[in-house]
Amino acid sequence: MAAVKETIEDVKKLEADKYKYGFTTDVETELAPKGLNEDIVRYISAQKNEPEWMLEWRLDAFERWQQMKDPTWAKVEYPPIDYQDIHYFAAPKAGAKYESIDDVPEEILKDFEKLGIPLKEQEVLLGVKGAAESAAEARQAPKVAVDAVFDSVSVVTTFKAELAKAGVIFCSISEAMRDHPELVRKYLGSVVPTSDNFFATLNSAVFSDGSFVYVPPGVRCPMELSTYFRMNAEGTGQFERTLIIADKGAYVSYLEGCTAPMRDENQLHAAVVELVALDDAEIKYSTVQNWWPGDENGKGGVYNFVTKRGDCRGKNSKISWTQVETGSAITWNYPSCILRGENSRGEFYSIAVTNGRQQADTGTKMIHLGKGSTSRVISKGISAGRSDQTYRGLVSVHSKAEGARNFTQCDSLLIGDQCGAHTVPYVECKTSKAVLEHEATTTKLSEDQLFYARQRGLDEEAATALLVNGFVREVLQELPMEFAVEAQQLLKVSLEGSVG
Amino acid sequence: MGAITHTPAEKTLIDLLDGAEDWRAAARDAVVRFGLPTKRAEAWKWSDLRRASHGIETAGQAEFRLNGATAADRLTIDADAELELAAEAGISVASIEIDIPAGTRVVLKERYSLAEGAFPTARLEITLGEGAELERVVLCDTPENSIPVVRSRVVVAKQAHYRQATLTFGSKLTRNETHITHAGEGAEVELGGVYLLEEGRHADFTSTVTHTGPGGVTHQLLKGAVAAHAQGVFQGKFKVEQAAQQTDAKMTHRALMLDDRAEIDAKPELEIYADDVQCAHGNALGAIDETALFYMRQRGLSEVKARAMLIESFLAEPLDMISDDVLREELAAILRQRLGAIR
Repeated sequence: MAAVKETIEDVKKLEADKYKYGFTTDVETELAPKGLNEDIVRYISAQKNEPEWMLEWRLDAFERWQQMKDPTWAKVEYPPIDYQDIHYFAAPKAGAKYESIDDVPEEILKDFEKLGIPLKEQEVLLGVKGAAESAAEARQAPKVAVDAVFDSVSVVTTFKAELAKAGVIFCSISEAMRDHPELVRKYLGSVVPTSDNFFATLNSAVFSDGSFVYVPPGVRCPMELSTYFRMNAEGTGQFERTLIIADKGAYVSYLEGCTAPMRDENQLHAAVVELVALDDAEIKYSTVQNWWPGDENGKGGVYNFVTKRGDCRGKNSKISWTQVETGSAITWNYPSCILRGENSRGEFYSIAVTNGRQQADTGTKMIHLGKGSTSRVISKGISAGRSDQTYRGLVSVHSKAEGARNFTQCDSLLIGDQCGAHTVPYVECKTSKAVLEHEATTTKLSEDQLFYARQRGLDEEAATALLVNGFVREVLQELPMEFAVEAQQLLKVSLEGSVG
Repeated sequence: MGAITHTPAEKTLIDLLDGAEDWRAAARDAVVRFGLPTKRAEAWKWSDLRRASHGIETAGQAEFRLNGATAADRLTIDADAELELAAEAGISVASIEIDIPAGTRVVLKERYSLAEGAFPTARLEITLGEGAELERVVLCDTPENSIPVVRSRVVVAKQAHYRQATLTFGSKLTRNETHITHAGEGAEVELGGVYLLEEGRHADFTSTVTHTGPGGVTHQLLKGAVAAHAQGVFQGKFKVEQAAQQTDAKMTHRALMLDDRAEIDAKPELEIYADDVQCAHGNALGAIDETALFYMRQRGLSEVKARAMLIESFLAEPLDMISDDVLREELAAILRQRLGAIR
């Protein structure tokens, strides 16, 4: 088939310049020396003026981590990581946190501006870049509060005052440790314990910053919250930690975006995200992950090893994960829900696109413990180029989870004959009063549909983009509007050059 | 990792294979180094063989019989036949290699005659020549305290047709492994299975189908019903290599939980390296439809009878693929009879 040959050639041509976030920003950086030992852990803790208990917590995690080995069960291949060849802390000079937006160095502001993340509140009010134009007409331009994380530190958090009026706490996790130690102490590590897995334990020892959200009982957070992660400095790893708590009856929607410059080396990103939803609370967590995926030969790119877990602790609580993953050389990411509360609900909507030499092993876990807990998993994987992608999921229903219900659908689309798509679902059921359904398909784009779209006047690339958008529609619908548009664009760019 | 401490069953197995050659030597080596597989091994995570083998300490005898007589280690079958795995109490090893010549059509009936406390580990190597057709009908009706572990490897040449229908009632631990290499190019594979597990029993179906050539067709349908404290396990995998374009493969597993304390674990896996394929799998678990049960009862059927009928109609489907009328009826009758005992 001629098209296949062209596809391969086109993928070869897939140039680095397709990645428009690959620039670096010149900003004076303070680096911890390379390597990892107890002193580095103490250094990070000291940099953040942390209380003694936090240092103990980190050192305990570090001790455990030294006993652990890299996990090998995922279907990804990469050379062994030299954990001593990484800077575990990098911060723009002149203080970790800026009091007001005016103090943030111009370079960093420009960097975020280039990324389309306006940090000045007046700009934000004018509407978020990339938001649908029709949406702007249809309703007031939405407000999004942003916590911007640059390398290891949170540089600025917007709309704090307005959020405080509603009682919502939104700040960097280091601030939270100072200002709300009782909350941090109560919840940190309560969903992902320090000993959870290799990367989570590493994160517990060296995490530098991240966001903290607490929504008090009965409060519906008045705006979308978001964090933007940017890895800039060379030879660094980013280890952020996010903790979101929705108290009884609260609601919060949270967005996360990430990019990194193009570098020849592999950068390590090992984050931990913990969500806690109490009675009747709801957390919606959306991610657009666009770390630098490496060039067409698989050189460079971010290793994305992330532990994300939500705990539906209260009755009728709900946690929903939505993710669009197009970046990273290697992705190892399983956002999960522990459905502890009665009638709690977990949702997972995912689009993963791999191209070039990317490898992704991703999926979710739904652990049903509470009576009447329900979950829904929709995963859409698209592999192109010479990439490999695996959906790995677990649905587990414990004997007390009477009336539990799960529906899982994972569809894979292959573009070109050099890529792979794999599905590894685990289903464990220990009660008869549960209904579990799982469906999976693997296909290529239908020639008929392509032909139809082309004879209506679309070129092949536009036709493919249209069909792919249709394929992932169910997930796109779950994204907040601002993200949906960005995600659609991202899909198009990621697949550019993958069809002949 | 230090050397492991072997259980009595492992020691017996190691002695049994002492001085062996070929695959037996490799098997012995694996047991010496790792012991019998436990749930820590990914492929055995829901079937802990080492734990199940506690209490079995002696060696026994096991053999394959063809039409009632001890079978040779390697043989050619070109007409309908009956294959029997016979095993005494204790741990034992048996092996047979079967060739189905090109162009022949064979119905092979397979049964297990196991003594109480038998723990046979059996190996079958089946090769189908070009255009050959094999229908393998397996009845795995074994004593509650036996541990049959049967691993078959089947090589299906192009144009060949392999059909397997299995009826299993489980035991302390039953492991039925089938690994198929599928050449495609007109070749077809049908895998059907039924398991009905009474209280406390376990059955594990593990299968892989590797498509190596283009245009292969595979259909797999497994259905089960599981009573209290029983455990049904399904681990199915389709692997489609890059050369196996236009593969059409479908895997379905459906099971009924007959009691709150039943357990079903499933891992239907796809590993695909070819883009022009149609591959799908479905997995559904649930309980008996109470509405249907109510309807049947108000038509005058007893609850036991109504349940048995519902379970039978649910389970019997995979047996329909058996082309031999007598065999199909025989298996259906055995299933019906066992259903009468299910609460």
